[in-house]
Amino acid sequence: MAKADFKNHSLPSARIKKIMKADEDVRRIAAETPVLFSRACEMFILELTCRSWAYAEENKRRRLQKNDIAQAITRTDVFDFLVYIVPEEDLREEMNANDSLLYYYVPPHVGLWARS
Amino acid sequence: MEPMDIVGKSKEDVSLPKATMFKIIKEMLPPDVRVARDAQDLLVECCVEFINLISSESNEVCSREEKRTIAPEHVLKALEVLGFGEYIEEVYAAYEQHKLDTLDSPKGGKLSGIEMTEEEALVEQQRMFAEARARMNNGMTVQKQSDPDRGFNG
Repeated sequence: MAKADFKNHSLPSARIKKIMKADEDVRRIAAETPVLFSRACEMFILELTCRSWAYAEENKRRRLQKNDIAQAITRTDVFDFLVYIVPEEDLREEMNANDSLLYYYVPPHVGLWARS
Repeated sequence: MEPMDIVGKSKEDVSLPKATMFKIIKEMLPPDVRVARDAQDLLVECCVEFINLISSESNEVCSREEKRTIAPEHVLKALEVLGFGEYIEEVYAAYEQHKLDTLDSPKGGKLSGIEMTEEEALVEQQRMFAEARARMNNGMTVQKQSDPDRGFNG
């Protein structure tokens, strides 16, 4: 993936800390730690957006939609953790879209049966 | 009515500023491309989930090292473990830059920019305490003078 030029949109440290602290198990956080999270988040969003956009382009759309993001998530291994937050109907759409390719490989005689 | 699950609620309530998020998203896309509202919201949710993931793993790394505070190196390790090793270089660079920025910044502290040894700093601190005490004592003297009036009400 090409490196993007970061224009320093840093996410607020206080907000990041709040999100981290929502997990009871998380212990003390060094003051400079949210800075790392901020940059990591930026990179993550850029990667997710980039992959989602690739799908929209494949479908000749100039508008990024929810299912583009769902698609990026199903296609990318490191994004597996996101499977739980994508609405089921969007995921199902994407999985079906991928599965539909299998129908091209159905042997001819099965098609004959269906007709009769 | 079920009692509110405060712990559960807090995780959902805290989100990231949409305006900043949208700027980041738009940077990646050609200028004429639109982003559906629900797609934007989903991207923000994904980012929050990302923080949760890295945070949780950082915490694990931290405990394994028997440390009490999550430090930058724990975060970097977590990124590697979770398959985001590609991010490490940039994330570390941001951390280094931040260290430089806070050194130069006048917000770094009242006495920043002034170089002094620890002894000098202690002396300065004692002087400031003495000044504050003196101010407080002067204030109390004024109050004592008005006390007789209050004593009357008993």
